[in-house]
Amino acid sequence: MKPMLSNEIAMSDAIALAPKTTKIEVKDLNFYYGESKALKNISLSLPARSVTAFIGPSGCGKSTLLRVFNRIYELYPKQRADGQVLLDGKNILDRSQDLNLLRTKIGMVFQKPTPFPMSIYENIAFGIRLYEKLSKSEMDVRVEQALHRAALWNEVKDKLDASGLSLSGGQQQRLCIARTVAVKPEVILLDEPASALDPLSTAKIEELIDELQVDYTIVIVTHNMQQAARVSSQTAFMYLGELIEYDKTEKMFTSPGEKRTQDYITGRFG
Amino acid sequence: MSEHTVASFDEDLAQISKLIHGMGELAGLMVGSSTRALLGADNALAQHVISDDAIMDARQRELDGRAITLIAKRQPMADDLRSVLGAIRMAGDMERIGDLAKNIAKRVGAVGEHTVPRDLSHSIESMAQLVLEQVHAVVDEYSVGNAPALSKLRTDDERIDVKYTSVFRELLTYMMEDPRNITACTHLLFCAKNLERIGDHVTNIAENAYYVLTGEQLPPNRPKLDETAAPAA
Repeated sequence: MKPMLSNEIAMSDAIALAPKTTKIEVKDLNFYYGESKALKNISLSLPARSVTAFIGPSGCGKSTLLRVFNRIYELYPKQRADGQVLLDGKNILDRSQDLNLLRTKIGMVFQKPTPFPMSIYENIAFGIRLYEKLSKSEMDVRVEQALHRAALWNEVKDKLDASGLSLSGGQQQRLCIARTVAVKPEVILLDEPASALDPLSTAKIEELIDELQVDYTIVIVTHNMQQAARVSSQTAFMYLGELIEYDKTEKMFTSPGEKRTQDYITGRFG
Repeated sequence: MSEHTVASFDEDLAQISKLIHGMGELAGLMVGSSTRALLGADNALAQHVISDDAIMDARQRELDGRAITLIAKRQPMADDLRSVLGAIRMAGDMERIGDLAKNIAKRVGAVGEHTVPRDLSHSIESMAQLVLEQVHAVVDEYSVGNAPALSKLRTDDERIDVKYTSVFRELLTYMMEDPRNITACTHLLFCAKNLERIGDHVTNIAENAYYVLTGEQLPPNRPKLDETAAPAA
């Protein structure tokens, strides 16, 4: 019998003792939408330079947990979190945390592509200008690097002045990923990044995730179980605001330890 | 186990499971009939086993087709994935058991032309009985989901190996006693070897079934019952 954590989460020693260093450590996190408690006593650690997937049915709290990591929830009233989220050992929920600095370290890409209504070039340069003062030629290099990183350069290099909105859905999403990596974050949060895309665009995003994990810590929320199985190294299954099981992806999808995980991933839920 | 949200998924899995059980029962029938045919020099029964092998092959092809379609359509996960892949592998072993039983049946005519010493029939019969028990047990224990019993079946195969070694020695003795025994005894030696191989396939099925049920692999080396028994070739 494997040792269980105090909050009854099955976690293999392999994850607990993973050789990779911990990038984000969540400790006893609770989250509230007004009176309603959306996350209940969540504790888990995410290894650096690795992809972690959050899965679970709608309303289980997986997107909420993602939104805590860059404190984007603070844009809305009556939403609050307690507990700790340590980024490289420092609690980002601390009041003294500079939010702008936090969001340069932790970038986010949403379900629907959200390019700015400006040129492809400006979509990338806009974010960089907020934090750095670069010459035109330096900026050109950074924009090209970011577009290369997002595997979009070859498709847009001849039309950098065209509107970001003129691109296809899949290209727009990669533009958003380029915009995110342009400001040199450490963590990238992906909230169902491919759910609105066709299979080929989805494959390109997944290939990109695979390449990006060499340099970034990636957290992905997805409803597509096969996608979680394909792209991530560890997977967390959440249900009704609780973390039910967190383990190596391979283990989660071949022989999960918890019956609720098994029922969910095999399509037996409810 | 609760049902899938998509009911036709359950039906697809049930079909595969039904095929596996059918193949298991047919394998048991073929092993039992082929050894009865051998010991009773019953050519008609032997022919029956030979024609059953075609049914076994057809069932394996049907199972493969269904399993591949299910994987493509449903992308099974966890226990579902294990049961589909396990079924493919178990069906492969059952098909081989069918082939080996057919091979025993094909020798019935050749052995029947000679007299087989009575004591020898007894040894082969008791070996066949051991093998048959294993074939039936693996099907039954998988049906009821008894993982510990499957693990024990794997250990029990050692008894068949020990028995094979003793039949091998016994056959050698008869051949040395009277060279006229050589043809019949050589055929019987092949039959005994086939029975021993059937035992190995049962072991494979037990290992696969154990993985399907538990998600854990049995350790690679099974414990030996008789460390002193030198294995016959």
